[in-house]
Amino acid sequence: MLKYVIQRVVLMLITLFIITGMCFILIRMLPPATVSPEDPHAEIVELRREALGYNKPLLVQFGIFLKSVFTKWDWGVSDKLYVGRDVFKMLYQKMPATVLVNLYSILISIPIGIILGIIAALKKNTWIDHTISTLTMVVISVPSFVYAFVIQYLFSYKLGWFPFLMKAGTDYFTWEMFVSMVPAIMSLSFGVIAGFTRTTRAELTEVLTSEFMLLARTKGLTKAQATVRHAFRNCMVVVLPSIFGSFIGVMSGSLIIEKIFSIPGVGQLYINSINAPDYPMFIMNTFFYTSIGLAASIVVDLSYGFIDPRIRMGSKK
Amino acid sequence: MKKYSSILALVLAVVMLFALTACQPGDDTSNVSKEAGETSGTEIVVEKFEGDFTWKDSVSTLATNWNPHTYETSDDSYPLDFIVSGLYTFVFNDALNPVEGKDPYSGYVIVPEMAAAMPVDVTEDIKASHPQFNIPEDATKGYAYVIDLNPNAKWQDGTPINADTYVYSMEKLFNSELLNYRATDYMDGDLAIAGGKSYYNSGRTVWEANSADGAAMNFALADLVKGDDGVYTTADGVKMYFGLEDTTYGWTGGDPLSAYKGYFPEGVWDALAALANDEGYVPVTDESIDLLYSFTGSAVWGNETREQLGYYMSYQKTYEEFAFENVGIIKTGDYQITLVLEKSLTGFYLLYNLSGNWLVYEDLYESCLKKEGDTYLSTYNTSVDTTMSYGPYKLVSYQEDKAMRFEKNENWFGYTDGKHIYCDPEDGKYYPMYQTTAVDCQVVAEAETRKLMFLKGELMGYGLQADDYDSYRSSEYCYATPATATFFLILNGHGEAIATREAAEDFDQTKQDLETLQLTSFKQALALSYDKDLFASTVSPSRSGAFGMIGSAYVYDPDTGAKYRDTDQAKKALCEFYAVDVSKFDSLDAAVESITGYDVEGAREFFKKAFDEAIEKGYITDTDKDGKSDQAIKIEYAISSDSDFMTTTVNYLNNTLAEVIKGTPFEGKIEFYKSAEYGNDWSNKIKSGMSDTVLGGWSGSALNPFSLTDLYVNPSRAYDAAWFNPEATNLTIKIDGEDVTLNLKQWSDALNGAAVEVDGKTYNYGDGQADIEVRLEILAAFETTILKNFNYLPMLEDGSMALLSQQVYYVVEEYNPVMGRGGIAYTKYNFNDTEWAEFVASQNGELKY
Repeated sequence: MLKYVIQRVVLMLITLFIITGMCFILIRMLPPATVSPEDPHAEIVELRREALGYNKPLLVQFGIFLKSVFTKWDWGVSDKLYVGRDVFKMLYQKMPATVLVNLYSILISIPIGIILGIIAALKKNTWIDHTISTLTMVVISVPSFVYAFVIQYLFSYKLGWFPFLMKAGTDYFTWEMFVSMVPAIMSLSFGVIAGFTRTTRAELTEVLTSEFMLLARTKGLTKAQATVRHAFRNCMVVVLPSIFGSFIGVMSGSLIIEKIFSIPGVGQLYINSINAPDYPMFIMNTFFYTSIGLAASIVVDLSYGFIDPRIRMGSKK
Repeated sequence: MKKYSSILALVLAVVMLFALTACQPGDDTSNVSKEAGETSGTEIVVEKFEGDFTWKDSVSTLATNWNPHTYETSDDSYPLDFIVSGLYTFVFNDALNPVEGKDPYSGYVIVPEMAAAMPVDVTEDIKASHPQFNIPEDATKGYAYVIDLNPNAKWQDGTPINADTYVYSMEKLFNSELLNYRATDYMDGDLAIAGGKSYYNSGRTVWEANSADGAAMNFALADLVKGDDGVYTTADGVKMYFGLEDTTYGWTGGDPLSAYKGYFPEGVWDALAALANDEGYVPVTDESIDLLYSFTGSAVWGNETREQLGYYMSYQKTYEEFAFENVGIIKTGDYQITLVLEKSLTGFYLLYNLSGNWLVYEDLYESCLKKEGDTYLSTYNTSVDTTMSYGPYKLVSYQEDKAMRFEKNENWFGYTDGKHIYCDPEDGKYYPMYQTTAVDCQVVAEAETRKLMFLKGELMGYGLQADDYDSYRSSEYCYATPATATFFLILNGHGEAIATREAAEDFDQTKQDLETLQLTSFKQALALSYDKDLFASTVSPSRSGAFGMIGSAYVYDPDTGAKYRDTDQAKKALCEFYAVDVSKFDSLDAAVESITGYDVEGAREFFKKAFDEAIEKGYITDTDKDGKSDQAIKIEYAISSDSDFMTTTVNYLNNTLAEVIKGTPFEGKIEFYKSAEYGNDWSNKIKSGMSDTVLGGWSGSALNPFSLTDLYVNPSRAYDAAWFNPEATNLTIKIDGEDVTLNLKQWSDALNGAAVEVDGKTYNYGDGQADIEVRLEILAAFETTILKNFNYLPMLEDGSMALLSQQVYYVVEEYNPVMGRGGIAYTKYNFNDTEWAEFVASQNGELKY
């Protein structure tokens, strides 16, 4: 197991290096934004590019970048978006807003999604199941930003329950801040809840009709005992890993949600760094998202082994 | 100096007397108390506001860098409106600042702000005492000014701002190691500080374009000399190069040659690239000339001449080491500086250019610099800690990409100097400027969210989107803001290109025709087919109909704010073009008001005429002699990318035209259709005649309508350069009783200050060289001539509309091209924050506009 983990981590680092390298080269191969010769600043723009080393050969630039990262953990400073600011610190500074909104969303979505899935499975082919399943299909088909506008209109404008935007400031753990996050959390959660509901219902429905469930009932367990002790635990083998997958999904989905609810997070930062373009900021963000994605995939894989002892990681046979 | 002070005191006394008689006391209003203010010895009563007044603003992108030396975008300059004061500023002409002959609030006055007095011209003195500034021998004014500084000016922490601050800040702005983006503003613009560019480039070798503007060349190809190594040089031995990646060539509109490598004959680009140095520059040799000319001289590139290769040339220029003491800013007193300029600047434009500022706070600035590569990056003015205000507000909180808040800067001199007050035109009372106590700005990216927040009273303004016009354009809270851009329907007249297109295999000449497009009568018919205002309200409701080449936002006299379109000359030009008989109207204004651009009978006449001419020239046929064209004319509308706007525009053009051509020989035979998506290539398609029309336009300096003439005579800019030669079109204008005949290019040059020599006579009608009435006559005649070519049909004037919150109102409703509506200084509140919250609640949180 340990060997397998080490193997996966090493592979992850290699993949991370390759992706970062590719992004570094590709983004700097793009022609710089054209400055009209009528713009009196055209000459200065060119002089700055030269002075900042962007006219050097790409591999030389990449070498300088790697040396700075490995020797000083220096990811460079922003030269467009936040001039002169350390890009690592900027990312670090913007992380809490993104992480909190996404975390709240996941924490709310998991129990609701699983409970709805269980209810639908237990009430299979009743009107309750049909209602939950239909709503699930509707919700899952609509992108999260559509909910964002509906929620803003309904809860912020018509009812006035929540503010339109996330509150300014860094007092992330105050009640006022939490309330201001609710519309964004709701927008992100609908899709995730629907996803968990569908997965849980499908798995549980299958497990409930398994032979071992029949055996459990013949052993004298009540339906509730059999469901909780055997059926539910079995269906978690599929549901739990999907939590990690959902987290990644929510992180990418929040790029748009962050914009709509003015959440000062890394999602906006990423989009802005591409539009600017701000090379050091873009690379920092790419590294961050790639790391999250790769780490999550390892965690998902490893989690199978922990949840279901029948699955042995790294076994040759 | 004493003499000036006496005159100034006398003028102020008269002004105060006038102000007191003009402003009668009115009834008390809520939120207002009174306090005594004093202006030049005459006591007046200034109202005082009570309560908090927060301006709640939104932006799509929040400023991240408002360093006055480095900011690049208008988003980044947002905070500067609050934290910076210029040396001079604009105020409306109210009772306190009257302008003779102008109604209150119909114009403006420029007054000292960070300066203590108006600048004093010392050109003669400086020329004699400081020869290093190279002031021309014959110059007597406009090159050097003494500016007394406001001794009450302070940074937000109370540190005084004196002459040293100005000199230090200028040194940092031009410092060659810092490569500050804004240095250009003070070395290449109208306000060019003497020696600034030399100090900025001190010891540096830079590439310079042989023709940055795409018109004049520094060195002509014919004047170059071939060196021993085969490379052509200037007479001074400077080597010339073709820049393959250079983005500063005006001739190509900033596109590098590499952007067109796909059009080069096979192998030519590779051969050129092989000759280039590491930076992409190819030495000009016989070989490289032949290679590049095989492309530029070909039909695909417009058969340019060999001489025009000069537009693709660059050379290296090395600046010598230059000391800052030779830069034109001198401390001549603790609170006095002398500015020396590279080129003459006087009057309005001098003060206008000094309405900005370049100051930085020394200690903070030094601590914010960080070396990166071969230059420095600065974090000055990027956060609360690194920001130092000297304007009416100071930054108190800032969160990147989220929000920023400003509150009153208690150390700003303007709150206590008794000068920042105005006389309200409504009640005649005096009020302090800047009633707003705080500015809250937050990022709201989506227009729909902005609208909901505005309707809930959480924002002060909302810019209307396309879907909003029907609901809100008639609202009393809706304000229209004109812009300088005018959009034309540009019509194809490129004979060769049309012939090439008609010769294509898939073009069936028995069923289609393009040649008729070139006929002036056909274009004239199109010109009369559209009601401009109706077109605007249909396709782009925030804009208005355009009737001339120059829009209604252009001011010809910046001193008074007088607009070109309001002059008799401009009105007569429109009447002449649209064939309006002025004698049938009560006034010239009434005649202009009657113009819609739509004359269905006139249009039909011209379509019939176009038919006859086209038949005669063999462009179209009428084989069955039914009096109708056998061929359909399908007009390609060039689009960069498809959109609802494009669809609406093309549909409108077609639907309206279908009505107009009923009963004409072209009935059912003319159609506009959308092209493929050309991206940025759409303008090249129009210029080369490979597409037939587009709604394209220009904008220019709102204070100089005369400069717009260049757009129609400069081949690098004009859309019709390939089929209209302004140098072959003469125009005769009677000036001072004498007929003067010049071609359009010469008129344009002369109008913009160039000395044009014709038949031994020199003509110059530039600013300060000719009477303004003469200049207006020339501009109007020029405009009429261009209109009568019918290559450009004016259709839209740009503009925008926005709703203003019921919490506030503008003291001045009329939009002024220079001052807008006075900004935050002239914004008044109907409710303070507490009252506003109560009012919104009383409306159930949904305000009606």
